[in-house]
Amino acid sequence: MNSLIKLELTRALRNRKFLFFSVMYPSLLFLLIAGNADSTSKVDGTGLTLPTYMMVSMASFGALTAVLMGNSERIAKEREGGWVRQLRLTPLPGRGYVFAKTASAAVVSLPSIVVVFVVAAVVKDVRLDAWQWLALTGAIWAGSLVFAALGVAIGYLATGDAVRPITMITYFGLSMLGGLWMPTTTFPQWLQDIAKWLPTHAYAALGQAIEQSRAPHAQDIAVLAVSFALFAGGAAWLYRKDTLKA
Amino acid sequence: MTTTAPVVAFDQVSKAYGAVRAVDGLTLTLRPGETVALLGPNGAGKSTSLDLLLGLKQPDSGSVRLFGTTPREAIVAGRVGAMLQSGGLMDEVTVAELVRLACDLHPKPYQVNDVLARAGIAQIADRKVNKLSGGQAQRVRFALATAGDSDLIVLDEPTTGMDVTTRQAFWATMREQADQGRTVLFATHYLEEADAIADRVLVLHRGRLLADGTAAEIKAKAGARRIAFDLEGTIDEAPLRALPFLTSVTVSKSGSAAGSGQTIRIQSTDADATVHALYGLGVYPRNLEVAGLGLEQAFVAITAAEEAKSK
Ligand SMILES: Nc1ncnc2c1ncn2[C@@H]1O[C@H](COP(=O)(O)OP(=O)(O)O)[C@@H](O)[C@H]1O
Ligand SMILES: [Mg+2]
Repeated sequence: MNSLIKLELTRALRNRKFLFFSVMYPSLLFLLIAGNADSTSKVDGTGLTLPTYMMVSMASFGALTAVLMGNSERIAKEREGGWVRQLRLTPLPGRGYVFAKTASAAVVSLPSIVVVFVVAAVVKDVRLDAWQWLALTGAIWAGSLVFAALGVAIGYLATGDAVRPITMITYFGLSMLGGLWMPTTTFPQWLQDIAKWLPTHAYAALGQAIEQSRAPHAQDIAVLAVSFALFAGGAAWLYRKDTLKA
Repeated sequence: MTTTAPVVAFDQVSKAYGAVRAVDGLTLTLRPGETVALLGPNGAGKSTSLDLLLGLKQPDSGSVRLFGTTPREAIVAGRVGAMLQSGGLMDEVTVAELVRLACDLHPKPYQVNDVLARAGIAQIADRKVNKLSGGQAQRVRFALATAGDSDLIVLDEPTTGMDVTTRQAFWATMREQADQGRTVLFATHYLEEADAIADRVLVLHRGRLLADGTAAEIKAKAGARRIAFDLEGTIDEAPLRALPFLTSVTVSKSGSAAGSGQTIRIQSTDADATVHALYGLGVYPRNLEVAGLGLEQAFVAITAAEEAKSK
């Protein structure tokens, strides 16, 4: 199991494109969006400056990229290609494959969170208490499990050709509508009403609550918990179905 | 472990896909040390049988046991190494990295370098898995199947995608596994492959076992030797047709013997006995040839006989 995690990780770290989009790209996007913002005016109704607000959005976005983009497509391709069947001929327990994928994605998602924090602190002078930095890292990292489960579910749902478009639509849809690229307060009201039910919105809101030094909204916690149950349950069900069929 | 349990035991195993009976009441037993070919045309049910054997698929009815346990238990104990027909590989890693993974996962692993060398891929160890030719990829799959000290090696059409020379080199690699005392079971639709490697051949057709024996026995079952000779003058065909062990006789005018001779072609299940009886007729056969029919034709004959029966 450890050897599979190690190999998955080796492969992920070798993939420059994947590393660029999950580790570098969120920081670049952060600079693009928050770069010219002054450090005094606040995002509507949050009490946070734009750089502070967007830092959490982009860290969440980076973690989302790391756990969603790599896994769903690989799982679908490796299922189709027969690698998953080959692994079933080893003593590795069936779930080991999914765990190894998730674990290696989690290793990549950590730097994608931290790099955004460093860029925000150095370039845009974002200042928070020590406990806030730690809590933010922990919350965003742990929260990314919700989307890791979604990635696995898509990997077991979609087949080779369909998996990329499905992943892309899910990824951009969740990022944009969930307010990872711009505050949802800039959306028209009807869109805000939709956005607040998206797991990505709840995910970023969790981090922003930490920045505001207040407890997260119960609704956000509930949305994340229900999403996780849904995605993980779906992934487990699809996984079992695939195993019986193979 | 019980020493008495057979390596593989199929008991009345069936598996259908909708209306297609891929495996139909298959019963068979493999003993330790046998090298067994599962021979049949495409669609015969070979891959399905091996999937059932390995526990990748569950039978609709019947039971599959390996070493007296379930397939999964045997795999977890490291007793089985297998190479699938549709065995994908993890890409973007090197051959050596992938083989190391297989060794790490095996309960009784060999050294990575030894596995690479035995599979004949030591010189491409640093190559990325997705940059291999078909034959090289097959060898990597073979390495994954032989990464540890398994008692049973299962190979599904292992030489697919190889040309004639690499195929023969690969047969030597397969024989090495058998020579180490392992039980080797491989599926093939190349009849010469079964003939070249296996000491036992199982002929599978439409999910059913048609024949089970040595390659020689399989040939015999289909009238597998061809006898040809010329006779001068014309001969009464009746005594020829009464020869023992015949499956067919054709008599034609021979081109060579100046108009007056005849060429006789006989298929026999026991060429020695047939030729002996032929001399007993008091004739003088010239240009006598006795040749094997070849497993290819034997197989066609068995299959045809089976199809005739089922009509
Ligand atoms: N997943 C499947 N779904 C439906 N039919 C299948 C499936 N796999 C195999 N078959 C059918 O079962 C029969 C046996 O196939 P297979 O075991 O692959 O044969 P072989 O390996 O001897 O070529 C064929 O008729 C094939 O079309
Ligand atoms: Mg097959």
